Amino acid sequence: MLEVRSIDVAYDKVQVLFNLSLRVERGSILCLVGRNGAGKTTTLKSIMGLIPVRQGSITFDQTVLTTLPPHEIPGSGIAYVPQGRRLFAELSVKQNMDIGLMASGAGQDTYSSVLEMFPKLQERLNQRAETLSGGEQQMLAMARALCMKPEVILLDEPTEGLQPSMIELIRTVILQLKSQNVAIVLVEQHVDTVIAMADSVAFIVHGRNPETISGNELRDNPDRVERYLGVE
Amino acid sequence: MEFGPYLFIASLEGAITAAVLALTAVGLSIVFGIMRVVNVAHGEFYMLGAVFAWWITNLIGGHPAVGFVAAVIITPVLVGVLAVIADHLILRKIDYDPERTIVATIGLLYVIQQTTLMTFGPEARPVEAPFNKRIALPWIEYGEQGLALIWPWGLSTTTYKLAVIVAAIFILLMLWLLMTRTRIGLIMRATQLDREMATAHGIPVNKVYALVFGLGAGLAALGAVLIVPIQQAHYLMGADPLLLSFIVVIIGGLGSVVGTIVAALFIGLSDGIISVFFTPTLAKIIATLAVAFVLVFRPQGMFGKPE
Repeated sequence: MLEVRSIDVAYDKVQVLFNLSLRVERGSILCLVGRNGAGKTTTLKSIMGLIPVRQGSITFDQTVLTTLPPHEIPGSGIAYVPQGRRLFAELSVKQNMDIGLMASGAGQDTYSSVLEMFPKLQERLNQRAETLSGGEQQMLAMARALCMKPEVILLDEPTEGLQPSMIELIRTVILQLKSQNVAIVLVEQHVDTVIAMADSVAFIVHGRNPETISGNELRDNPDRVERYLGVE
Repeated sequence: MEFGPYLFIASLEGAITAAVLALTAVGLSIVFGIMRVVNVAHGEFYMLGAVFAWWITNLIGGHPAVGFVAAVIITPVLVGVLAVIADHLILRKIDYDPERTIVATIGLLYVIQQTTLMTFGPEARPVEAPFNKRIALPWIEYGEQGLALIWPWGLSTTTYKLAVIVAAIFILLMLWLLMTRTRIGLIMRATQLDREMATAHGIPVNKVYALVFGLGAGLAALGAVLIVPIQQAHYLMGADPLLLSFIVVIIGGLGSVVGTIVAALFIGLSDGIISVFFTPTLAKIIATLAVAFVLVFRPQGMFGKPE
């Protein structure tokens, strides 16, 4: 189980997260919902150790992530798919996946099973990441993370700017990961996706988490997501 | 000697400058490309390479080849280790901040230079080449009976000078293989492209930086070991290679290894040719003017990508 306990996070003197707490179990999907600038991406980056946590702690099972150097956090089973993909643009598809494999020490079987999820990448293995279409880049960003054989995966707006068929593929992969007992933290602006997939939803407002509700509660009252996203 | 053979010999001298400059500048280029650190102390690592080569060959004695081979192996490692220590004690402490690292490496420049002066003294130190046979070079001339191979008087070089060019090409080839065909090369390139994402994929960026800083310094030192039988070692010899390396890296494109090698060829050859036909000072003036043109008309350099 991944647990974020009362963390305060700041960029220099500007505090962004205030006493924020979350938790996500294996085999479940926690959606983070909030307006732009609310602190969702900062939360994910804090879990990855990319932004230091000033107070509070983040633990995964028995490991206290906040005491680890950032580069050791992926080794404890946590993978991150950032907003905007952030692929290693000049490296090939295969090399991007190799970076993921190196982090986990996983072998050829992991590589093959990831390519089975995204068969289109198989045809593009030697192509530079920057030359892929937006949808293919998103596939690669997820494939790179999955090569790390994660037990927790943090997805930051994975369906942003994608066509419906691609969104469907990403959703299918997320559900497949859930069925494999992976814990998923999903930042998502698509209300339909949140309603369809969330096991729990944490709302984030100005760096605080005023409430976390179950997926069923949300499905009974979908207006709540729209209220927190500021959608009329 | 006629103009043709004279130009040929000048080009050969230029090729030697280009070969050593390529090694030194590629070291500077990978440090900037991967770490975003402008290493003002790079010329001092070159100087240390030359001084250590003299020290090691003197220490070992015997046939010059034995000491020289030992210097080729030990010196880059020694200088690389010193650079790693400097990275750990200085650059890491200031979090590789681009502005502060410039000031810090200026300080490092003086520390290395003055420590070398105090330890080894101000004298220029010669290192004997491991082999140095003079060989005559042929020239093709069109005469009454068509094209003919002639051996003009004075058109010659030494086997050592040719070996420097071959060695530099070999080392650059090895570096290319390291960067493109190995796991550590892939890690270095990923770190260069996105430091934060590299960290998020388990790459220990600080260790990569230390390795790159050591590799950059080691390449400069290796260039110096190769050139020291031709130029002599001296505690002030780091300034020229630093200036030329910056010129080459800016013309080639910051962080572009290919661009750096092409620019080193251009600057090295023009430096050799202009120095022979005119003066070395004019060669430096033209190189500096070339940088000015590049900065005005193509700020990212010949092979660099716009920000």
